Amino acid sequence: MKCLRIIFTAMLFSCGLACHADEPPLYKVEDGYKVDAETMKGFRTWRAAACDRCHGANQQGLVGPSLIERLKTLTKDEFVTTVTEGRLVKGMPSFKTSNTVMSNIDHLYAYLKGRSDGAITRSKVEEIK
Amino acid sequence: MRSKFCYLAVPLALVAVTGIAQANSDVEKNIANPANWAMQAGDMYNQRYSKLNQINTGNVGKMQVAWTFSTGVLRGHEGSPLVIGDMMYLHSAFPNKVFAMDLNTQTIKWKYEPKQDPAVIPQMCCDTVNRGVAYAEGKVFLQQADSTLVALDAKSGKVIWSVKNGDPSLGAVNTNAPHVFKDKVITGISGGEWGVRGFLAAYNIRDGSLAWKGYSTGPDDEMLIDPNTTTTWKDGKVQPVGADSSLSTWQEDQWKIGGGTTWGWYSYDKAQNMVYYGTGNPSTWNPAQRPGDNKWSMSIWARDVDTGKVKWVYQMTPYDEWDFDGINEMILADINVKGKMTKALVHFDRNGFGYTLDRTNGALLVAQKYDPAVNWATHVDMKSGRPQVVPKYSTAQNGPEKNTTGVCPAALGSKDQQPAAFNPNNGMFYVPTNHVCMDYEPFAVEYVAGQPYVGATLAMYPPPGEKNMGNFIVWDANAGKIVQSKPEKFSVWSGVLTTAGGLACYGTLEGYLKCVDAKNINKELFKFKTPSGIIGNVFTYQHKGQQFIGVYSGIGGWAGIGLAAGLEKDADGLGAVGGYKELANYTDLGGSLTVFALPPK
Repeated sequence: MKCLRIIFTAMLFSCGLACHADEPPLYKVEDGYKVDAETMKGFRTWRAAACDRCHGANQQGLVGPSLIERLKTLTKDEFVTTVTEGRLVKGMPSFKTSNTVMSNIDHLYAYLKGRSDGAITRSKVEEIK
Repeated sequence: MRSKFCYLAVPLALVAVTGIAQANSDVEKNIANPANWAMQAGDMYNQRYSKLNQINTGNVGKMQVAWTFSTGVLRGHEGSPLVIGDMMYLHSAFPNKVFAMDLNTQTIKWKYEPKQDPAVIPQMCCDTVNRGVAYAEGKVFLQQADSTLVALDAKSGKVIWSVKNGDPSLGAVNTNAPHVFKDKVITGISGGEWGVRGFLAAYNIRDGSLAWKGYSTGPDDEMLIDPNTTTTWKDGKVQPVGADSSLSTWQEDQWKIGGGTTWGWYSYDKAQNMVYYGTGNPSTWNPAQRPGDNKWSMSIWARDVDTGKVKWVYQMTPYDEWDFDGINEMILADINVKGKMTKALVHFDRNGFGYTLDRTNGALLVAQKYDPAVNWATHVDMKSGRPQVVPKYSTAQNGPEKNTTGVCPAALGSKDQQPAAFNPNNGMFYVPTNHVCMDYEPFAVEYVAGQPYVGATLAMYPPPGEKNMGNFIVWDANAGKIVQSKPEKFSVWSGVLTTAGGLACYGTLEGYLKCVDAKNINKELFKFKTPSGIIGNVFTYQHKGQQFIGVYSGIGGWAGIGLAAGLEKDADGLGAVGGYKELANYTDLGGSLTVFALPPK
């Protein structure tokens, strides 16, 4: 299972923004701030979980690291583990008990990856209408 | 639901203590001797004034570093050490070490380091600060982050008793200093961003048993409010609060997760037998989810120290829409107000208003802005005691998902917990302030036990057209006016010390300890760069005939990280406006104590 996820993640990584038509893109963005419905859920999750208190309103990093930078190197698997289990000693909470976060973790990843890739150019996004 | 908020005080260890003097008299004796710094504020009135005058306006310029000490902890260091006789008791940020240092030999007599679940670290809003210990009757009291309150033997550092004050798995953690008044050690709770229901609790210093616990919200009996005898300020006079004063101001059961936490500095007036303190923000930060005045969040309280019964309560910010916690210190001073000698309570609230009340009955006497930038309300209506909110800065009227811009002050408040000082020589207050504004966008958030419950996104920045993010001011609590103001580049996030030597001393976020002339605060008489930014409180003591002035440095807290929040706004072109980024040009982490004295003659 874990193995599969890694492969899946790797596929997403390798396809990035220039995906083949038959592979679903991680996120869709227009004008830098209009995103698809799923990525929008990722943004809402980011807000609901108050990630900005440590990572900054623009993911630029405060007491926690910049996610713009961190998601350039963190694999999706590592991302999921970190959010699920936390890094308590460093101050990162475990979101295991948060349904909102756990059921939207892929969307959260998509949103943050979009920010990190530079494709989503501002923190606050809107849904493509 | 309710049981989750019902904490049991379980003394883990009971030690028989014989021949107990009243703690009040022990602490009173210690604070009466100005050689000691026996309480976090130096006294029970929260005045932060010392009678020592060896270091004074004439010679402070020659002051030098006498000694330094690293706590070995990097994060934000608030509060200050205590000095009783030949001993100094120092604390650190998480993991909340306590050191007992023998001032004669400068050796560590004992060190206490509690084992705490690291899960509490992420629950500590803003940083893992701790505001210091209390001392009475041979015991050192530490309020640990994980909500455990411990009494340590001042001679050995051994745990005498230990009680659990909250449930950290729900976000109920502690940053406040415990305060000893009479035979009780008083403590509060943090977690307004986790939906924690605030309370003040008194434990018997003898064995740690719970004496009383009064909640900030909910049914009258759980708040220890008597609808007939507890009073508040209504229609221009002091009147009974009436039944269900809290329940009637909340929708359904929201009060159970409604905040009103209590992590500030408390004060005590022996003549009134009252403990004074403030309650914090209602949870969540999204006002749309909690219509009503949300009593008694954002309030000033007077409780009987023996029973916890509420004598009076006054709400400063009904229906908070900006996170203007009311927890800042209550300074007790007998001053002239409107031509009458008054037993006053003076309070500089996060909401930007400086309040003067009659502490005997809670009558509202003065409420004026102590930072000219304050714009969210035009004024406080003296009859109703309510601030008059400016609609365009109302995050509730603008609604969720709408960004309300240009609100001053920011959620940091015109002042946060960093305590002001009173100068009895001129009756003035010396106040460390923030000069920061914000954008605030609330959004709907769901309560999940043990998960953050915030519901707003903020950006903070200096007031338009200004560069300084702080001011050090002198305040006249009778006139409700700023008498003097000294701009500082960053928020002044350090507790002030005033002395009989004519000095007012405070630290800055760049890491400077500054002593200014109390008569003219723009006259900087001493300035020294300590190893890190200062968010600790300046204190003084005398040992072997020599006066020392000390302060913790160790940047962190909300000042360190909060300032950052505004520095890069979204792609709206404002870009970095200084703040945290610039702070990094001056300082970095590291907790240490720097102690100053005059050079040997």
